[in-house]
Amino acid sequence: MTKIVAITACIAGIAHTYMAAANLKKYAKKEGDEIKVETQGAMGIENKLSSQDIEDADVVIFAVDTSVSGKERFVGKKVLKIGTSEVIKDGDSAIKKAEDLVNGKKQ
Amino acid sequence: MEKQNNFLTKDNIVLNLDAKSREDAIAQLSEVLYKNGIITDADKFTRDVLKRESMTTTGIGKHIAIPHGKSTAIKVPSMVFAKNKTPLKWNSLDGSKVTMIFLMAVSTNNGDKEHLKMLAHLSGKLMDDSFVSKLNKANKTKDILNLLED
Repeated sequence: MTKIVAITACIAGIAHTYMAAANLKKYAKKEGDEIKVETQGAMGIENKLSSQDIEDADVVIFAVDTSVSGKERFVGKKVLKIGTSEVIKDGDSAIKKAEDLVNGKKQ
Repeated sequence: MEKQNNFLTKDNIVLNLDAKSREDAIAQLSEVLYKNGIITDADKFTRDVLKRESMTTTGIGKHIAIPHGKSTAIKVPSMVFAKNKTPLKWNSLDGSKVTMIFLMAVSTNNGDKEHLKMLAHLSGKLMDDSFVSKLNKANKTKDILNLLED
């Protein structure tokens, strides 16, 4: 089991942020991974990751089309950066890429 | 939930939309939002949405598109759902043509959080295959409303 934390954010902050969050959760569950997703959208930051969440995580996914708010929280972590559209199109690969990053496989 | 009943009514659903292109669909549905009293300027809103569309496609696959815009022309965050008679080209992520359209409208000066929450919740549900398949099959306004409000 991989422990994943993720941030999703899109340009308008209306739809893609939340679709990407839903798809990451869906495919992490399928893989039997644990995931927490912080959304940075039109409603502001929701489900904010705690420093403990981040410390415990094996890998971080930034599913963003814009800049991440509070990026400094993730210094020293393994980070997969990917667009929201890619996550919406193929959530399965996004999760697998994150797992590969943990296992040290080449991207 | 009373809030949800206010958020979505039969006025938010368009069956048998007869748009010939992505631009046409957005323009026609902007008119619906205008008639519903959601936006004050349909042409301006159409332009805002197309501008957003030009950055990345909102054709999210499975025949669904979710064009959306933030605009000062919006009074209250809202949306309109439409089924188009013919499949439309939309540069979708999976290459599929679009038959189901959610046009979402949000105010630039962050309006009603409750409505934003519902748009967010609805966006998340679009990742659920069984929800999408039910939506695809539903062809009565009442059934669609029930699905969207669930």
